[in-house]
Amino acid sequence: MHYDLIIIGMGLSGLMAAQTASDANQKVLIVGKGMGGLALFSNTVDLLGDISEGVKWKDGLSRWIQDHPDHPYGKIGLEKIEESLSSFNSLFPPPYTFQSKNEANSLIPTGIGTFRPTFLIPSTLMRGITVREKKTLIIGFKGYKDFYAHRVADQLKCRGIVLSLPEKLQGEISATALARRMEQSSFREFIGAEVKKHLRDEELIGFPALLGIKAPTGVKKDLEKRIGASLFEIPVLPPSIPGMRIFNRFKERLIQKGVTFLQGYSVSKALFKGKRCVGVEISHPPVITLYSADHYILATGRFTGGGLKVDRNRISEPLFQLPVHQPGSQEEWFEKSFFEAHPMHRIGVLTDSSLRPMGEKGEPILENVRVVGTILAHQNWIEEKSREGIEIATGYWAARQALAQ
Amino acid sequence: MKLQTEVLVVGGGATGVGLVRDLSLRNIPCLLIERGDFCSGASGRNHGLFHSGGRYAVSDPEAARECIGENRILRNIAPHCIEETEGLFVSLPEDGLDFRDRFIQACQQVAIPTRLLSRDEALSLEPGLHPDLLSAVQVPDGAIDPFELVLSNAKDAEALGTRFLLHTEVTSLTINRNRVRYILARDLLHGEEYEIEASYLINATGAWADRFLRLAGFHIPMALSRGAMLITNQRFSHRVINRCRLPSDGDIIVPNHTVSILGTTSVRSEEPESVEVTSQDVSLLIQETSKMIPAIKEARLIRAYAGIRPLFQSVEKGEDRAISRGFVLIDHEKRDGIKNLMTITGGKLITYRLMAEKASDLICQKMGIKADCSTHQKPLPGAEKTRGFKDRLKALGRMDILCDCELVLKEEVEEVLKERKLYDLQDILHRTRLAKGTCQGGFCVYRLLGILHELGMAEGDSNKKLKGFLEERWKGIRPILWGSAAREEELIEGIYKGIFNLNNKE
Repeated sequence: MHYDLIIIGMGLSGLMAAQTASDANQKVLIVGKGMGGLALFSNTVDLLGDISEGVKWKDGLSRWIQDHPDHPYGKIGLEKIEESLSSFNSLFPPPYTFQSKNEANSLIPTGIGTFRPTFLIPSTLMRGITVREKKTLIIGFKGYKDFYAHRVADQLKCRGIVLSLPEKLQGEISATALARRMEQSSFREFIGAEVKKHLRDEELIGFPALLGIKAPTGVKKDLEKRIGASLFEIPVLPPSIPGMRIFNRFKERLIQKGVTFLQGYSVSKALFKGKRCVGVEISHPPVITLYSADHYILATGRFTGGGLKVDRNRISEPLFQLPVHQPGSQEEWFEKSFFEAHPMHRIGVLTDSSLRPMGEKGEPILENVRVVGTILAHQNWIEEKSREGIEIATGYWAARQALAQ
Repeated sequence: MKLQTEVLVVGGGATGVGLVRDLSLRNIPCLLIERGDFCSGASGRNHGLFHSGGRYAVSDPEAARECIGENRILRNIAPHCIEETEGLFVSLPEDGLDFRDRFIQACQQVAIPTRLLSRDEALSLEPGLHPDLLSAVQVPDGAIDPFELVLSNAKDAEALGTRFLLHTEVTSLTINRNRVRYILARDLLHGEEYEIEASYLINATGAWADRFLRLAGFHIPMALSRGAMLITNQRFSHRVINRCRLPSDGDIIVPNHTVSILGTTSVRSEEPESVEVTSQDVSLLIQETSKMIPAIKEARLIRAYAGIRPLFQSVEKGEDRAISRGFVLIDHEKRDGIKNLMTITGGKLITYRLMAEKASDLICQKMGIKADCSTHQKPLPGAEKTRGFKDRLKALGRMDILCDCELVLKEEVEEVLKERKLYDLQDILHRTRLAKGTCQGGFCVYRLLGILHELGMAEGDSNKKLKGFLEERWKGIRPILWGSAAREEELIEGIYKGIFNLNNKE
C-alpha cells in the first residue's frame, strides 16, 4: 500500500505531523506501539521554562532562539512555532481548551508541591495557578498510592485530606480506574458529598489529575456544583490522564479524517534505495506487511520510547541507523550530580533546517525522511521544560516541509 | 547532656553492636555511639557472603579456621539472617586443577567440609555455569543479611539495657593520668552535645580506627582496601559461585533474595569514605564474573557500590589480598600506656561474634571480673522466625504494596516506623527492602515520603529529603546506566526534574 506520508511513532510529535498532513488532504499512515510520552510525561504544554513569568512568550522565545540556533526551536523559528501552537489549539475547542495566561508562562503546582513553569494549560488544570492566593484543600484517595494529599498540602502550606472510597472499591486502585469512576455520576455524588463534609473555608479544591478521561470538564463542573468550590487538577506520576486525553482527541480526529491509524504495531525494518527510504515493514504478528510512501517521518522518541538504544559504549538509532550525535565516551554521558544537566539528554539525531537527518559535518543522509520530537539533538526537554513545545513545533514543521516538496 | 556508663563502644557496625550484646549478656552496662546509622561502614557495604572460610583456606588458614567456626555457630544463633545456599568453587579450563587439589587439602586441614563435583554434577546443580568448567568443589558457603544480623544484636542489647546513640559523632577524647576520662560527642541531626564518662572505651570504628585514635594522638597502621560490587536485577545462581583460584578480582557471585551480587575488586584507598565505583571496576567485574556465569554479560545491573575493608597492616606487604583477614585486638595499655582504651578492627563480618567475645574477655580481665561469654549459644531475637517471604506472599492480596519491585507492604513500613523514632530517610530504607529493587527507590521513596506526611511523622522539607535521596541513589546507578537501566533513568528524570521540576536552584 502506498501513502503520501508514513509517520512512525504515536507520541505528540507524530500525531501533530499526522494532523498537519491530513489537514492538507494527504494520504497518511501513522504507526506506533503506544501513546509515546503522552501517557507518561504530558499534562500541559510546556514551551520553555526559561521564559520568566510575566514575559510575553514571543519576546522570551525569540531572544532565547538567538542564543540557541542549533535547538529545534532555532531551526523552526518563532513564526512557525506560533503556527504550530495555533494548529494544536484548533484541535481543542471548548470546553477542554488549552490556554495561556496573558501570553506568558504560568506556574502550576505539581504532585510533590513544587511549581513548574508551563505555557498552555488545559481548563481543568487552570485554576492551579492561583493556588498561592487562595485557601486550598488538597484531596487524595485511600488506595491510590501515587498521590499524597498531606505531602502536597504541607508543601503548599494548605490543608490536605484523604478520602476513603466506597466499600466495593477499597484496596489498591489505579489512576485510570479512578478516572473512569469519575465519569459515573453516582461516584461523583459520593466524592462530592465526602469533600463537602470536610470543607471548611477553602475556596479552591485540588485533585490529582484524574477527573475523567473522556469528558473532564463535565466532571469538574459537576463536582464544583456539588461541593460549592472551584476545582483544579494537579499533575502526578505516570500514567498521565491529561496526556491520554490529548492522545484520544488526536486519534478521534485522525481516524475521522481517514488517516490509517495502526496503534499497537511497530516498524520492524526500513528499506532504502540510495538516499531514499522506499518502504517500511510493519509486523502484525504473524504477518509482516510492506508499506511505502513518498515521505517518512521518524517520531520514535528517545530511550523510553525506543527511538534510541544504548549499549555499554554507544548510543544508536535502531530503525534508520541514523548517526547519533554523542560524546566520545560513556563516562561523559552523565554528570556526577543527579541535578546537573546531563549530556546524555542532549544527544540525538542531527538535522538540517527542514528536519532531514544529517551527519556530523552536515552531510545529508536521507532525502525523504524527517526527524521530529525528543529524538532530536541539541535539546534537553527535561531541563528546559520544553517537551510538548518541541513535539508540536517539529511535528508540524516536518509535515509542512514534506508537503512542500 | 552528661552520661555515664561502664563501657563505651564507638562504632555501630557488626563488631561494635556484637560487642555491646556480648557485654550486656555478661551484665556489664554499656553505651554505643555511632556517627551514622547501624552498618554505615563495611558492615553495610559488602557482598553478604556467609563464609565457609573456603576463600581463605589456601592463603590464610588462620582466618579460614575462624570463619568455619563462626559459620557453624551463626547457623544456630542467627538462622533468620542466613540463607543456607551452599557454595561452589568452580575451576575453569584456564585455571587448571592444581589449585583445586591444594584447595581441597587446605580445607581439610582447617575442617571445612568439601565435596568434589564433576562437570556434569556441577552443571545439573547450577545450569547457568560456564559449560566448559572442569569441576567444582562444594563448601558450606551461604548468603547473610548483615543489616538484619546487626539489628538483631542491637535489639537484644537494647532489651538488656544498652543505650544506643545513633547519628552521634565523638568530637574529642580527654586523657588524664593514663586514662581516657571522658569524651565529647554531638548529635549530628539535632545538635545535642554529650559529655560521656566511661570506665572503658572501645574503638570499634572499623576502617575509621586510625582516624578515631588520632583524636587521642595515637596512630595504628591500617591498609584500607576498596572493593566494588554490582547488583544484578535477577538471581543468577542458587549457590554462591567462587572461582577456584587464589582470591582475585571478580571471582565471586553471591545470591541474595531475588538478586545476585557480583564481587569484588581490591584497590588501596587512603580515605574510609571513598566508595566511588569507576567505569573500569564495572567492566572488570562483568568481564570476570561472566567467565563463571556467561549470562551475566547481558545482565541488567541495578546498582554499583563499594565498601572499604578495614584491614590491619602489621608488617608492610604489597598486595592487600595477602594481608590477613584475621582481626586485631589492641590493648592500648600495653601499646600506649592508656589503661582503659582498646581497639578492635580488621576481621570479617562473619567473625564479628568472635571479635566481640575476645574484646569482652579482655574487658572482663581488666575489670577483674569473671563472666563467661554466652553469645555462641544464645540465639538472637528473631531466630525463631523463618525468612518471611512466604508470609509476605500470603498477605499481598489484602494490603497496600508500597514497593512493586520488592513487594514491600505499607504495613511493614508502618511497623518499622512504630518501633523506633527514625529521623533519617536512609534509616527507614535500611530497615526495609524499600529502594533495593529494580527502580532503586525511584517510585517507592516518593510513596514513603507521602506516608510520612499522612502519619504526621514528616519533619522538615520533604522535597529536600527527596533531593538528597535522589543524589545518593545516583552514586549507585551512574556507573551502570546503559540498556534498560538508561531507559528507566530517563523515566525517573522525566518525572522528578520534568513533571515535578525538582531542581537545585532554590
